[in-house]
Amino acid sequence: MQSWRGKSLWLALSASWLLVLLRVFPLLRLAVPARPWASAPQGWPHWLDTELLPSFSQPGELPEDAPQPPQAPRGGGCDWGACFDASKCRTGGLKVFVHPVAGPISAAHRKILASIESSRYHTASPEEACLLLFLSLEVPAGECSPVPQQWNGGRNHLVLDLHPAPCPQTFQLGRAMVAKASPTADTFRPGFDVALPLLPEAHPLRGGAPGQLRQHSPHPGVPLLALAEERGRWRTAGTDPSACPWDGRCEQDRGPEQTHPGGTLPNATFCLIPSHRPDALHFLQALQAGCIPVLLSPRWELPFSEVIDWTKAAIVADERLPFQVLAALQEMPLTRVLALRQQTQFLWDAYFSSVEKVMHTTLEIIQDRIFGASAHASLLWNSPPGALLALPTFSTSPSDFPFYHLQRGSRPVGRFSALIWVGAPGQPPLKLIQAVAGSQNCAQVSDRFFPHRAISTDAILSLDGHSSVTTSEVDFAFLVWQSFPERMVGFLTWNHFWDEAQGGWGYTAERANEFSMVLTSAAFYHRYYHTLFTHSLPKALRTLADEAPTCVDILMNFLVAAVTKLPPIKVPYGKQHLEATPPLVPGGPEPQPTARDCINQMAAGFGYMPLVSSRLRLDPVLFKDPVSVLRKKYRSLEKP
Amino acid sequence: MGQVCLEREEEAACVIMCASVKYNIRGPALIPRMKSKHRIYYITLFSIVLLGLIATGMFQFWPHSIESSSDWSVEKRSVRDVPVVRLPADSPIPERGDLSCRMHTCFDVYRCGFNPKNKIKVYIYSLKKYVDDFGVPVSNTISREYNELLTAISDSDYYTDDISRACLFVPSIDVLNQNTLRIKETAQALAQLSRWDRGTNHLLFNMLPGGPPDYNTALDVPRDRALLAGGGFSTWTYRQGYDVSIPVYSPLSAEVDLPEKGPGPRRYFLLSSQMAVHPEYREDLEALQARHGEAVLVLDKCTNLSEGVLSVRRRCHKHQVFDYPQVLQEATFCVVLRGARLGQAVLSDVLRAGCVPVVIADSYVLPFSEVLDWKRASVVVPEEKMSEVYSILQSVPQRQIEEMQRQARWFWEAYFQSIKAIALATLQIINDRIYPYAALSYEEWNDPPTVKRGSVSNPLFLPLIPPQSQGFTAIVLTYDRVESLFRVITEVSKVPSLSKLLVVWNNQNKNPPEDSLWPKIRVPLKVVRTAENKLSNRFFPYDEIETEAVLAIDDDIIMLTSDELQFGYEVWREFPDRLVGYPGRLHLWDHEMNKWKYESEWTNEVSMVLTGAAFYHKYFNYLYTYKMPGDIKNWVDAHMNCEDIAMNFLVANVTGKAVIKVTPRKKFKCPECTAIDGLSLDQTHMVERSECINKFASVFGTMPLKVVEHRADPVLYKDDFPEKLKSFPNIGSL
Repeated sequence: MQSWRGKSLWLALSASWLLVLLRVFPLLRLAVPARPWASAPQGWPHWLDTELLPSFSQPGELPEDAPQPPQAPRGGGCDWGACFDASKCRTGGLKVFVHPVAGPISAAHRKILASIESSRYHTASPEEACLLLFLSLEVPAGECSPVPQQWNGGRNHLVLDLHPAPCPQTFQLGRAMVAKASPTADTFRPGFDVALPLLPEAHPLRGGAPGQLRQHSPHPGVPLLALAEERGRWRTAGTDPSACPWDGRCEQDRGPEQTHPGGTLPNATFCLIPSHRPDALHFLQALQAGCIPVLLSPRWELPFSEVIDWTKAAIVADERLPFQVLAALQEMPLTRVLALRQQTQFLWDAYFSSVEKVMHTTLEIIQDRIFGASAHASLLWNSPPGALLALPTFSTSPSDFPFYHLQRGSRPVGRFSALIWVGAPGQPPLKLIQAVAGSQNCAQVSDRFFPHRAISTDAILSLDGHSSVTTSEVDFAFLVWQSFPERMVGFLTWNHFWDEAQGGWGYTAERANEFSMVLTSAAFYHRYYHTLFTHSLPKALRTLADEAPTCVDILMNFLVAAVTKLPPIKVPYGKQHLEATPPLVPGGPEPQPTARDCINQMAAGFGYMPLVSSRLRLDPVLFKDPVSVLRKKYRSLEKP
Repeated sequence: MGQVCLEREEEAACVIMCASVKYNIRGPALIPRMKSKHRIYYITLFSIVLLGLIATGMFQFWPHSIESSSDWSVEKRSVRDVPVVRLPADSPIPERGDLSCRMHTCFDVYRCGFNPKNKIKVYIYSLKKYVDDFGVPVSNTISREYNELLTAISDSDYYTDDISRACLFVPSIDVLNQNTLRIKETAQALAQLSRWDRGTNHLLFNMLPGGPPDYNTALDVPRDRALLAGGGFSTWTYRQGYDVSIPVYSPLSAEVDLPEKGPGPRRYFLLSSQMAVHPEYREDLEALQARHGEAVLVLDKCTNLSEGVLSVRRRCHKHQVFDYPQVLQEATFCVVLRGARLGQAVLSDVLRAGCVPVVIADSYVLPFSEVLDWKRASVVVPEEKMSEVYSILQSVPQRQIEEMQRQARWFWEAYFQSIKAIALATLQIINDRIYPYAALSYEEWNDPPTVKRGSVSNPLFLPLIPPQSQGFTAIVLTYDRVESLFRVITEVSKVPSLSKLLVVWNNQNKNPPEDSLWPKIRVPLKVVRTAENKLSNRFFPYDEIETEAVLAIDDDIIMLTSDELQFGYEVWREFPDRLVGYPGRLHLWDHEMNKWKYESEWTNEVSMVLTGAAFYHKYFNYLYTYKMPGDIKNWVDAHMNCEDIAMNFLVANVTGKAVIKVTPRKKFKCPECTAIDGLSLDQTHMVERSECINKFASVFGTMPLKVVEHRADPVLYKDDFPEKLKSFPNIGSL
């Protein structure tokens, strides 16, 4: 009985304990403070009622707001849509008129004017123009340039301010755009103003010095850093990050460094450029030298930042984090350093090396704004040869141009068109047509000088009535062209040389170990060069070419070399007896002097000598090898 | 009792037990009276109960000790239970906001200081509910989207829960939609955040700024120096390089399942799908429709929909009803017109449908325009030019339209699709500003994955012909064939452009000959000893290499003439980004075996050159040593073969270009090799080499080698021309 009672008592007791404990535990749990657990990070909580939370905008409200009258919300400022009337440009294309400048002008300004006049956008009539350019002059302090006639409130005006003018606000700008050298970031209106580079006084009009980079990778002995100092000086610093190289904080420990005399270019991998505006001059120096600019919190807008992707050529870093920037520079992978260095050279050469390039780039940017959807793609601006040489009127697709195939690892597809130039009417060159049409790659043959639009293929085989080529020569040359679509591939070559005796350039058509030009009487090249020839060359050079037939060949070679910076390609040619003598001009036994004049005038027109010599010829793999002729694909090439 | 307490494992449970024992004072007296049989029974029962309790207790108290479930690491709570904060009416209000703020003036970069990973650290304030003096809430506590956004940040690599280490602070105060909040009180709430400090390094997300009647284009809440990630900035309110322009999220993104539709011509050329368009614009649009008929479709709100149908998912044209957003996939171009606000959610829907947006909103700063190239995915037309829209669009070539459609869809997938995508892109942009040297490139932001995979980016893209004066460095890999090595050195030293000779002594058991025994040559000669006998030592980027051009040459290549080597160097100068070598080889697809085959016969084509003697850029040594994909490098060292094929693959893969074979040379014949039975050796050799090609092609995931049919010879090679006048007469042997 007792045990039964004990049992029941125990059971009741345990049950009550259980109940008590079950009640007490949750309470205890709440009593423990909700402490953050050190081990696991406590993220944003997962709310129990996530699904019930309201959306930030109710469906009825979101897509539509209360309709408002169409009013541009602006604070008295200007932007492209509001202040530029592009309708005039869209019908007639960009036409630029420069307001005549009254009074004496400096050499720098004269260069600017000359370079705008050489542009294909220039017009002499203000009525025709859709962009009016006003050159803001340096005037004595206190005085300001007068507002030009036809100012029209500044509408469709571009005020050019290449050198910082002492007159702070020349006049009421109104709706005019400002193209200014290194504008301060605070006043710059992106998409409307144009940021120009700060050019030295002696900047050349055209041509311009080439980039200083002679090799892709940094030389092992070159110091890591150069620091811009006053008066165009550079100071190189060692790689030791403990010797902090800027802020003047480490004056006492100058380390392994030397001061360069003013004007020389820095020889280092990175160039540190302080933040203030006068230092912008250093920027171009570094760019030319292939020294990667490291801009420390620049207070000025980088030149042409609207189109140039500066992250590919420069580093914009925060001046407040010196050690971190230094560490990052030291640890930068070689691949990135290589890419940055090469990009500095490309940009220098494409947009900055001469006043003409700077001005043409400015106009090209405005042209791009007008074009809208059919403007240059970013790739065209930011990879060789640059937007000035890749005309968007030709195509908006990079694969239509000759330049981007090799960069992207592709090759042009399709076939070629043979273009046969027949001077005088007479017997059509049947044999030649037969030989060319025999190639399976030939898409069309025409014996007439026909409009470029009729050419449907990327490749053009240019021939004249006197040339004689075989099918197998054409086939092989076309194959080679497909591997080098940006170059000219030809059979007959000339070489240029510097003639000490005459003090000018000369050329020779004789067989030599080197060549720098191929004759268009038998050559493959890309269709795009026709467009470039017609639209980008200065008028003076084209008239020169029209007058003397030999000049066409030279001009074409100049153009392609200036674009590619590479020599043309020579392929084997059987008919050696038809040597590369220039075509005889009827009635003139002296073609040589004309050609010589030609080459010198071209060099003057370009501002430099773009031709590059080559010492190689591309032959078929088994060319003239002592193996069975049956193994060879291009047998007829070897026939004597 | 004592025994029981000895068994205790869990303190708290024991204390409770003892307490209850004390309470039932008669309890202990019972135990001795019980029979031992019962006692065991009770004790067992008791211990089971006790153990159960202990287990429960442990489970409840130490949830964090259980690793398996991540759910335990974050509390499950309700938004309704968050602490309430009362804002006194006179609490401080931040300044209005400084339009001149830039990263280097208003952002405290020191907080982001030293960071090896180049990643900013983001802290999120915990959620509070703010009420005014009268207990009226300041805003909705949090919206679904803002909660998603904070969750996304919290789950990302940027997140830190340590406020002192954070570089960027994200308040949990939801300001996504200005209409749902009280401006002054929200500003007060911001100002009392623990690290507010004039808003420095604080990031606010806002998608619907402004309110009637004038609809400002930026959030009206005074926020001092705080960064604003806003949807609907105009160029007047956007602080370039400081604020971030973000999209207005379209909730339809999550609600509707819209399968991707590829680019190509579509039924309508131009479509307008927005409902509340200003009458003036609607007139313009309808005029367009009248002029161009079927090609233009202007949709409007549906007036006669039956109850229960979601009006946001329907659009009407006259009496025709269309499903939205599906109808967007029927159009090539879709109008995105400014409403009262500049930022419109329809942009997101349009991109998703692969329709090219035609943005008609003057001064609108497009989402993420700091990094995204909108020219590739949209057409921007000034409001003034609305009547000309059709002709402007007609001038876009079909190929470009397709490219834009593809790009639009990719932008949506990468940056618009979800709140998470928007949040991470915003943080990435800020991160790129703070660590510019580690920033993503234009291509990484803008190229769709297919383009990224399909194209190469040549590391030596600048057309640059290195000056001849620089010369080249010859690297001779040798083991112990000293006699042959010396002959190679003597031969190579005759080449005019040689600037340095580097001997890589790959034999660890034997010392190189003494200095006095080496041939005397006119250029510096350096001997490098290696730690291990590996083939890859030949491609190591030694510091001793000071020239860009490298000639790799085996210690038994004595047959190459000085003319051949000099010409090889000249050719390399014209093609500095390629491998320039002598005997060429070819890879072929074996249709029977269904794999690649190595070919060394007399072929008309070339896709590889042997590196027994080859010129190339020093950079490729760096690539071979540090960037060779997969296990190729180890594989080559283990098999002691195919290092040249690996180099050919590497260079072709990174540049996308073919090799250049120079001169007719077909074989490297060495006198010592003639004794060996060539045929059987050749057989196994060919099989091994084919193996290599197949192995490498699988590692690279593609066949990078390019086949060409040309080789480089001197200009006058085999021409009918006096030999003595030729630059490189001594060329032509096989």
